[in-house]
Amino acid sequence: MSEARLITIDRDFLNNITSLGGVGINKCYQCGTCTAICPISDTLSISFRKTIKYTQLGLKEKVLSDVTPWLCYACGECSETCPKDAKPGEIMAALRRYLTLKYDWTGFSKLLYLSKKAEIISVIILSLITAFIIYLLKGPVILTTTKLKIFAPPYIVAWSNLIVFAILSIILIISIYRSYKMVMSDVFPKPKIPLKTYIIEFIKIIPTHFFTQKLRTLCRKRESYYIIHLLLFYGYAVIFLHHITRHMLIPLIAPTIHPDELISRIIGLSAFCALFIGSSIAIYGRSVKSQVHWSYSHSTDWMFIILLWLTSITGLLIEVFRYFNLPLPTYIVFSLHLMFVVPLLVLEVPFAKWSHLAYRPFAIYFFRLKEAALRLNGGGRI
Amino acid sequence: MIKPVLVVGGGIAGIQAALDLADQGIKVYLVERSPSIGGRMAQLDKTFPTLDCAACILTPKMVSVARHPNIELLTYTEVKEISGKAGDFKVKIVKKPRYVNVDKCTGCGVCMEKCPSKKIPNEFNMGLNNRTAIYIPFPQAVPLKATIDPEHCLYFKSIREGKKGACRVCERFCPAKAIDFEQKPEEVELNVASIIFATGFELEDPRKREEYGYGKYANVYTHLEFERLLSATGPTEGEIVRRSDGKHPKRIAFIQCVCSRDILTNPYCSAICCMASTKEAILAKEHMPEVECIVFYMDLRAFGKGYQEFYERAQKEFGIKYIRSRPAKIEEDPETKNLIITYEDTVTSEYKKMEVDMVVLAVGVKPLSLEKFFPVEDDRFAKKENPFLDPVASPIEGIYVIGMLGGPKDIPDSVTEASAAAMKAAIWAARG
Repeated sequence: MSEARLITIDRDFLNNITSLGGVGINKCYQCGTCTAICPISDTLSISFRKTIKYTQLGLKEKVLSDVTPWLCYACGECSETCPKDAKPGEIMAALRRYLTLKYDWTGFSKLLYLSKKAEIISVIILSLITAFIIYLLKGPVILTTTKLKIFAPPYIVAWSNLIVFAILSIILIISIYRSYKMVMSDVFPKPKIPLKTYIIEFIKIIPTHFFTQKLRTLCRKRESYYIIHLLLFYGYAVIFLHHITRHMLIPLIAPTIHPDELISRIIGLSAFCALFIGSSIAIYGRSVKSQVHWSYSHSTDWMFIILLWLTSITGLLIEVFRYFNLPLPTYIVFSLHLMFVVPLLVLEVPFAKWSHLAYRPFAIYFFRLKEAALRLNGGGRI
Repeated sequence: MIKPVLVVGGGIAGIQAALDLADQGIKVYLVERSPSIGGRMAQLDKTFPTLDCAACILTPKMVSVARHPNIELLTYTEVKEISGKAGDFKVKIVKKPRYVNVDKCTGCGVCMEKCPSKKIPNEFNMGLNNRTAIYIPFPQAVPLKATIDPEHCLYFKSIREGKKGACRVCERFCPAKAIDFEQKPEEVELNVASIIFATGFELEDPRKREEYGYGKYANVYTHLEFERLLSATGPTEGEIVRRSDGKHPKRIAFIQCVCSRDILTNPYCSAICCMASTKEAILAKEHMPEVECIVFYMDLRAFGKGYQEFYERAQKEFGIKYIRSRPAKIEEDPETKNLIITYEDTVTSEYKKMEVDMVVLAVGVKPLSLEKFFPVEDDRFAKKENPFLDPVASPIEGIYVIGMLGGPKDIPDSVTEASAAAMKAAIWAARG
């Protein structure tokens, strides 16, 4: 059923993987321990070893069509049992970084992942632009009492939110679509998957894996890390949904509704607490390399977790200063908060680490679709 | 005057070196720490790739050693101290007390029948059965003399506990009146021209790779244990039966590179395991033609003469299956005590589980180095003066390191090194 195709060998590909953290790639002697020890292999028919082999050979196209790296939740069991210390878990993480930069069509992702300097400069520029915009658009600064709504008029906040949200969503959706194209690129002939399959699999997979990280529950190692991971996810999801509703949808669509201020603050505070705790643990863990999955940190990992920590601590401080009615500190911390949150969202969500929030559940979805496609083509394994 | 030479280690390499030296008219002291010479080769059932009976090749050489007028065999003896230099080494050795007068003992074995301390793991059979406190390690032992193991002997135990000496049953029953509880360690100084070390190897502890369940699951064996199961002189007289229920296995899996080529234990290749497992699988098939044998390997290293042919014969003639994979773990079915192997078949990229009745781990080797007498590498194998042009010489002049001690190798290579070292050692002896 398949046709002869030319596969090219990309020499730079292997170097990219090494510089993205897959430093053990050349040590691997293809024994298959990683595949066999992985608890996820019990559920999904995958081979980490095969993915590593493709990478060693420089078969970039094969790797681009491979979702295997996304099925790994980095529990580190393979890295601990690997007889060659090739750290397959780190290779998978490096491949996820590589896939992220390939799914992205703007080229921005590549810049962030392959140049630490470009990454830092981008963050600084975005921070400064944010500061400048705050300076331009801010309302009157009242120092007698804390009036954040006058300092940052809700209407301007809502429109800024809408613009950022729309641009980022479009970029991310295009990247997800590109990832789908890449995953299906080695299925020949092009199968006609029925619409019903698309819908059923979507319903079956996306919500579950998005909200519960169900695959992670299969991992035997480091339950505590699962909780931290989930804490970060829920902290983010809650603050994101809350923010979108409170500061974008309601002011734009239903300005007459006035949500309860106290409940709103409690939601915000608890979400920031979750993010603060989660990111603090992750920063500590990565700096002392306390766990095998924290033994290697790419510069984007650091940038992400530090921005998240700064965002959450400033988010908490806003509420503290407001509570004690300290106008100037509140406005300053609020501005700083925006200066951290904008680079975090603009860079990390569509271009860097945060994008795995979308790529991972969709990869599982595409994995199922690919299985269905191969079945339609009369068999074959992923 | 021709000076004597000391050979340390009575395995096949030490035996060969001693014989080659002695045949040249040189006096040889052959020191062996255990009660009998023979070493690891004596434990093997057959040898690869010819499937010769190991004992049939080795035993005549052992007997030659015992009979040779130029060899002074010093079993149950250890080297304590070496001083001097090439051509004039002073070596202090300690003869451990056997508590048996070897001149009187006839090796009849009555003492072993009568000894009440019977629960001591039999080293020769890799602990698969037990021996008594007074023992002859194996029927072909040279010298064929009994030895009392003071650690387990009831008499010595009672003395250690401060009681009046009890038991002494062997003494009462020995027809030759050979038992002598009064023996003491005896220190002797030798003056030799050169020294050959051939102290051999032991297996790495497979418990270090706990995912294979050795020591936890009854039916997981090391290849040396399996070798004893195959052997007619072994604990089951050559019957392959499971530790858990004494039944014949229907399916045996051999797992290669356990604690070899493994960064967490030993990074080097142990050289012998690929062929050893192939041989053991063939022998299992010869014992029980209906048994299914599967070898899990990563790279099958059939490097010697006739080895590739042996491997091909195993597949074609004996139907042994080879799966390219390093299994990740073994689990035990608590009821049947069968073993479930989880692995990825790396040829088809399939994740699989296989149930077998018995698992044989090809456990890697590690040297029994005597570091205080010669330099060793990081992996504890003896250092060579020049691995290419002087591969048997230690960096210390007049000291030679051969066999497994210098690096993993098979019997033919060990014997070759033995003869080479005998030649080198003889040069010092001849200089006087």
